[in-house]
Amino acid sequence: MLAAHLDPLAASIFSLITIASMLLSFVMLGSRWLKDYMYAFGIQSWLIALLSALVGYYGHYPELYLIAILTVLFRGLLLPYLVLRILRRLHVGRELHLVLQPSTSLIVGAICVIFSLVLAFRISTAIGFPENIVVLALTVMFTMKLVGFLILSIRHEAVSHILGLMLLENGIFLGSQILIPGMPILIELVVLFDLLVAVACFGVLIRYLMARVGSTSSLELKRLIG
Amino acid sequence: MLCDVLAQIAQVLAVMLLAPLIQGFILRYEERVQRSQGPSILQPYRDLWKLFHKQLVIPETSSWIFWAAPVVAFTSMLTVPLLIPVLTNYPLPLSNMGDILGGGLILTVGTFFINLAALDSGSAYGGVGSSRQVMLSILVEPTLILVFVGITLMAKSMLPFVVNHLLVANNAVFWSPTHLFLVLAFFILLLVETDKLPIHSSTHIEVYMIGEARILEYSGPLLGLLKWASMMKQFILYVIFCNVLILPWGLSIHGTVLGISGAVIALVIKLFLVGMIMVAVQTSQSRLRFYRYQEPLAASFLLAILAIIANQIR
Repeated sequence: MLAAHLDPLAASIFSLITIASMLLSFVMLGSRWLKDYMYAFGIQSWLIALLSALVGYYGHYPELYLIAILTVLFRGLLLPYLVLRILRRLHVGRELHLVLQPSTSLIVGAICVIFSLVLAFRISTAIGFPENIVVLALTVMFTMKLVGFLILSIRHEAVSHILGLMLLENGIFLGSQILIPGMPILIELVVLFDLLVAVACFGVLIRYLMARVGSTSSLELKRLIG
Repeated sequence: MLCDVLAQIAQVLAVMLLAPLIQGFILRYEERVQRSQGPSILQPYRDLWKLFHKQLVIPETSSWIFWAAPVVAFTSMLTVPLLIPVLTNYPLPLSNMGDILGGGLILTVGTFFINLAALDSGSAYGGVGSSRQVMLSILVEPTLILVFVGITLMAKSMLPFVVNHLLVANNAVFWSPTHLFLVLAFFILLLVETDKLPIHSSTHIEVYMIGEARILEYSGPLLGLLKWASMMKQFILYVIFCNVLILPWGLSIHGTVLGISGAVIALVIKLFLVGMIMVAVQTSQSRLRFYRYQEPLAASFLLAILAIIANQIR
């Protein structure tokens, strides 16, 4: 395991990047504007790309450079571009029907962080790697997943659903880069393209919603029509 | 010993005499940023002078609380500088009366008495102002406690002097995520406590007022005392922010006359820096309605939690 024997400088850079991406996921959680989510997601993807390049450098995995470039291209540029294009065409600026106010959802997010920390301590001692960077990576991974689920469940705009999904995906990707670097390159490529397919499907779904229901809110999808 | 007592007196005097200067600086440069002339930097001193030479008018409906509140507020602001590093980086006589939490308590006593006085005379604006202020305080208080818990966990001590020494001595702690999150969380609290949030209005219209609406009934010397106390509160909070959290350098180490005067100059420079940040915050944000107050406070709460979490992993 790479994380078990990192030099201190690398460990501190890794923790800085993971903490910054956790903060960005809270920016997504606390904002009302869909554009802000998108920019935060873009920056987060760039950070994760930087992280995988650094893991490749410190752990001598040359194929991770390719992954980093692909991450920047797909998650950092292409996905935000596609979603921003959807936003522009549909004229949805912000979340209209809030289940939880941004402030309340931030508090729930804080509870998620505490839960993830406890979980991360348990898991890291169970697998026998109680290093700080392992605990931190696990905490941030679980936090980003929980925040992603939170966004999926408390937001109604279909675009936010895509974002929740992508945030979840980003969390898993970030955790896997630190905890188990050197996965077969095919799996990493599959993960990247998987997300692209998901966004394309969601794009079609949103168009369909707009055409049939007249709005992009998933609140309209309550009734079952046979 | 005598030297230390004199240094302690100098700390209190520095807070008393420099507080209007910082207020004047912020008010002047807020105007200058908007390309208007702005009042002189010494204007708050002139205002205080004018108020202390005016006649006193007391509402007929008020009780002794009306008299006591300004005195209590002013006295508590004179007490807090004894407990915190204003000019020296070592504890002076009587600074062992209270720790960070004690300082926070005394700061709140003044607010509490002004709230009482606002309700005392029974005017409508006093009630509105104190209810708004109490709503904010209720939300600020838990976060403030969490920030103190974070500081305590980071420095393994509740004394501001220990935190100051730790941050000066150890760069790794200074740049650690724990400390940076604490600085951010405390900065938001600072904005709330010194009326610099976008929900606070810079123009004096009664319906927009939050804290100031509580003192509309006052006049003359009592009003002067209250204004001075609020300037001192702002000064003390900025001093805590600088000397305990973000700029722990530039304090007198031995307590010589030269060192103390150097510390005064360093203090003014540091507070001008904080003042510039405040001017930037106030100018760059548009005003929001009052009911948006939860969002910055929730963000501050979250940052305090993150600081504690980061400290656990460190």
